[in-house]
Amino acid sequence: MGTLLSAIAFGLILASVIAIAGMGFTLQFGLTNVLNLSFGAVMTVGGFAAYLARDHGVSAWYGLAIGGAVGAVVTLAIGRGLFRLYARRGAQLLEMIMVTLGLGLVINYAIQAISRNNIYQFNVLQSAPLHLGAVTITPTQAILIGIAVVVFVGLEAVLRLTKIGTALRAMAAEPSLARSCGIRTGRVVIITWLLSGFLCGMAGVVYIINSQSVGYATGELFLPLVIAAALLGGAGSPAGAVAAAIVMGVVTEVVSAYGGPQFSTAAGFGILVLVLICRPRAVLGDRGRETRLTL
Amino acid sequence: MRWSITKSGAAVIAVGLAAAACGSSGTGAATGHAPLVLAGVVAFTGSSDFEAQNNEGGLYPAIYAINKAGGVLGHKLVYKAVDTKADPADALPAMQQAMATTSNLVLVAGPDTASAPALVPVLNSAKIPMTAVAGESVYNTNTLPYFWRLFPPDSANGTAMALWAQRKGYTRVAAVFGTDSGSQGDLPGVLASLKALNIKVVANVSLTPDQPTYSSSVRQVMASHPQVIMTESDATTAGTFFGELKQLGGLVPIIGTEATFTAPWLKAVGGVLGSSFGSDYSALITAPSQPTAATTAYQQAVKAVKSTEPTPWQSYLSNPFSITYWDGVMVVALAMNAAHSTDPAVFNKFIPQVANPGPGKTVVYTYAQGVAALKAGKQIQYIGATGLIDFNQYHNSFGDQEAVASNGSAQPKELGAVTAKQIEAVPVKGVA
Repeated sequence: MGTLLSAIAFGLILASVIAIAGMGFTLQFGLTNVLNLSFGAVMTVGGFAAYLARDHGVSAWYGLAIGGAVGAVVTLAIGRGLFRLYARRGAQLLEMIMVTLGLGLVINYAIQAISRNNIYQFNVLQSAPLHLGAVTITPTQAILIGIAVVVFVGLEAVLRLTKIGTALRAMAAEPSLARSCGIRTGRVVIITWLLSGFLCGMAGVVYIINSQSVGYATGELFLPLVIAAALLGGAGSPAGAVAAAIVMGVVTEVVSAYGGPQFSTAAGFGILVLVLICRPRAVLGDRGRETRLTL
Repeated sequence: MRWSITKSGAAVIAVGLAAAACGSSGTGAATGHAPLVLAGVVAFTGSSDFEAQNNEGGLYPAIYAINKAGGVLGHKLVYKAVDTKADPADALPAMQQAMATTSNLVLVAGPDTASAPALVPVLNSAKIPMTAVAGESVYNTNTLPYFWRLFPPDSANGTAMALWAQRKGYTRVAAVFGTDSGSQGDLPGVLASLKALNIKVVANVSLTPDQPTYSSSVRQVMASHPQVIMTESDATTAGTFFGELKQLGGLVPIIGTEATFTAPWLKAVGGVLGSSFGSDYSALITAPSQPTAATTAYQQAVKAVKSTEPTPWQSYLSNPFSITYWDGVMVVALAMNAAHSTDPAVFNKFIPQVANPGPGKTVVYTYAQGVAALKAGKQIQYIGATGLIDFNQYHNSFGDQEAVASNGSAQPKELGAVTAKQIEAVPVKGVA
């Protein structure tokens, strides 16, 4: 029983990292229809930004905001600059996936060249572990779960209680109708890039706080879990992404605890395979969603 | 017309053959003063990319030192990187491309453990000498003439770790190894040696590289209450695992394989363990040579090329892998001088002749000394920066091992020796 409870607790910790990235990814994908495979690379950029900030004396917790801000700026530059350029030249969904894949590789290898393959430490809070019955977690892990909850509640509040949130949801549900209703789509798309980019950069920082190190491939290795969570939860649904992240995190850790850690990754990818079997049009859009790029 | 077509065809074929001959890899004798190519054939990207740093860390100084001494028979040496990505599927085409496009390829510094099964037979068939760092025990009885290993097999390193654990009085060991092929290569030797010494393995945990958390694995290790952890994995994985282990209060002493004593690993794990790293971590590495002219020459060369060495350059002053690569280049370069040929098919058999001890041989410690002695008509024995080199009938040469701690700057702090005789005396079974 102790093993199961511990695995569930560790699953929730993993889920908190997946969830923040998943919310950003699903927001971006749901509104723009760009399956952005460079998302992981931008996570890494966010992580490195936080690392550099901490290296210059800034608190690692402020690094969450710094990583988020850098992620937002980079994502906006990519979305409004590169992706829109390709879209104007006729790139469709699949072509754009290749563009994002290539961009991700370019960013990754650039970071690899600059960082000279080094792995940098990112220690945050070194204090006694928390014992919650049979479960033992670190204070840092507890804080990360809290951050994920706050981010989720905040994002839901923005989406449901603000005018821009309503516009975002309208665009995600029916772009052409939203346009005809007078919603300034260009502005909404910019906000989407900024918001999803912020979550992406922040997810990179959360990831490195948990793993205590940052390297050039940090975000890239995590990307499949993020995509799986976004697809499992439904494009454009942060709540769905969070629920999916919890499922994936818990399944991954339970498999790790009982079947061995070497099977945990396979379990994560297994969920992605199941998603695509159950919802084969998850990538290209389903339920009549408009599948044109909205850039 | 028919005659004309035939003649044209013949001309095209002739030109094609000539072009193919010119473009094919030159593993024969180099002509003129064309540079001789040393290929570093290891992982330059991916989770095993530290292999490239070890490789460059030893080869850049070696090339510098030899070129400074006039090169080899009038040829300068140059470095070529071949990225195996620690994956045979990537390694084979990369190597084939390098062989097809590289003239005067005289030495492969590698291949690494993961790509060795695919590359060793190919390189041997192409008559290219290789100084492999592949630790698999299958090469303990190697019969391929172009395969040379100056490194202890994984099983020897594992036995040394078990002997060290026994000497420290440990009876309960947790084995924590990455699932990458390099780390897994060491595991059978560790487990078999622990069994042979009646030391209980209370947990055997595999770590899939680059996961965001290893909490479940940490819990598994802690639940088994080990006295010591024996380990090898890539630096990122190790940093995350041991960081979580420490934070959850489960840190016990760590004994690492030789592969853990590299700058990225020491930096990653040292960073998360902080002040306790110096006392909690030890590794079994090839026993550093006593200070000789060879170690001085190596260290001077590292300093001379520090701007091109991977960072931090200081770590390569004592990196056992880099030092071994250095010695491999020195031996091969001296063999070419002894054979008066840059043709691998000619100089390959001179490799043990310039390194192994023998009656009447002049002991040399540097390339320049070796060349001078050979020119004087003497037979030489090169004692390298790793110490004595003595290839056996299987083209393997390895000596004592030493337990070391890290002083924080990747310099080894000696804790005690485990001799080759002690290693051989352990009745290890089940490791090929």
